[in-house]
Amino acid sequence: MQDKSDTIDKGTSNISGIVGVGHTDWVQDYKRVRNGEKPFDSYGYATLAFNRALLDAGISRDEVDGLIVGPTTAYERMGEILNIDPRWGGQADAVQAVFQAVMAIKSGFAEVVALVYGNDQRSAAIQYGGPEAMGGGSFLSYVYHSPWGLTSQGALYALMFQRYKSMWGLTDRDLGEVSVGQRQWAALNPNAIMRKPLTLDDYLAANYIAEPLRLNDYCLINDGGVALIIMEASRAKRCKQKPVMIRGLGRSDLNHHATSLGPRLMDFYRPAQMNTAEQVYQAAGVGPEDIDALLVYDSFSPHIFFALEGFGFCEEGGAAKFIADKGIGVGGQMPVNTSGGHLSESYMQGWNHQIEAVRQLRGGLGDRQVSDCRHVQYVSDVAGKAMSIIYGN
Amino acid sequence: MSQSPRHYSMYDKPMWDSIQEGAMKLQRCPESGVFRYPPGPACPASLSLDYEWVPVSGKGKIISWTVFHRQYLPAYPAPHLVVAVQLEEGPIMVSYMDAGHAGRIALDMSVTMEYATHPDGYKIPKFRLS
Repeated sequence: MQDKSDTIDKGTSNISGIVGVGHTDWVQDYKRVRNGEKPFDSYGYATLAFNRALLDAGISRDEVDGLIVGPTTAYERMGEILNIDPRWGGQADAVQAVFQAVMAIKSGFAEVVALVYGNDQRSAAIQYGGPEAMGGGSFLSYVYHSPWGLTSQGALYALMFQRYKSMWGLTDRDLGEVSVGQRQWAALNPNAIMRKPLTLDDYLAANYIAEPLRLNDYCLINDGGVALIIMEASRAKRCKQKPVMIRGLGRSDLNHHATSLGPRLMDFYRPAQMNTAEQVYQAAGVGPEDIDALLVYDSFSPHIFFALEGFGFCEEGGAAKFIADKGIGVGGQMPVNTSGGHLSESYMQGWNHQIEAVRQLRGGLGDRQVSDCRHVQYVSDVAGKAMSIIYGN
Repeated sequence: MSQSPRHYSMYDKPMWDSIQEGAMKLQRCPESGVFRYPPGPACPASLSLDYEWVPVSGKGKIISWTVFHRQYLPAYPAPHLVVAVQLEEGPIMVSYMDAGHAGRIALDMSVTMEYATHPDGYKIPKFRLS
């Protein structure tokens, strides 16, 4: 057993912070795209978000020496459009992009890293289901079972939740509490696309899509972009914005039996989440009891159950009771996805959750503000990669 | 020659060929005895590159299920019942059952493999309650 205090504890904690955030006009663009317009392509959304992040940080483009682009834009073309010739660069999804930026700063390859993401998934009618989904084959579990009619990532979460629900005797109402709670937050968020209050009866009145998941258990599909500026800590302290510090990181992957769904269906990714929890809490010097807001990658509402259990907010099988007793919506004791998340704010594939972490820690969000907010935790478990970030101010 | 579903690796073809013959085979590692699914170049237990194609018993138990209430593929009108079955040999396999089973199935129920013809013209393994 390696001594984790040397290898993880001091490694990447508190060496960098987010000094700028920007995003596109999700609400307005959602309406425009539904009206048949196409405001921008993925690169355009990313550029608008980047411009706003620079403005927010109060820095100029020339200060950026690291560039990470999201999976939906080509690295070189994105850099060409932003006219950035960095000394370090890469391409990654939201959580891995934050990890890479911190690692680049730690290693001295960069001091000011711009993370930019743009996605025209709705106007371009991107297919997340079917045999060619997501390019086909890069995640074999997303495509391999299509001859039998399993076509979508939503259906993978339906399989996962059906087993969990049967094991622990849950009802549809238990699942509905997630969508209802997140919509309460979204109703207070001017950037959220879905703000109309949702009752449990509304939730239950909607049709199943892949049973036991209903319409409101699915994320939105919308166009948009997000950008973040992550800066080396000592330099960040001289920045216009008070930095939101990255207190700790943790990661644990389950690749074994990924295509035949073993870690997903038999373990609900729990072993990976428990490993990640141990790392991230040790790195940040806090525990789940210190987390003021929990932001969970929520392509589908079952993610919240598995995150609450895997990261030790409640015991195994106890998430429904935890949600009912403590509350995760407005006024609840454990605020979850306080922007409305992917279900109700915007589906920016984890990128918008990083902005929400920054906003809650900067404060001043009015009715939506989590009181005395000191630690915000982000959690994702996309395709068995359990990753977590703890932010603090 | 019937059509075949897309092959994601060179190891898929022998499996689908065996399905066309009505006796699905999977690779078994001679060293560890572990069956693997989907087919692939090496045993995840031993990393041995050797394998033999062995017919599966067709017996398994239900791990989970989902009912599609929307039609996504021409072959499968709604409602469509997709099941995850753990085969007696170990691997978990995604398949389907007749939608009429939807109200009657539960975790760990025993199921048996049978063969149906996909509208694209190839045979495909599905399940029924044992």
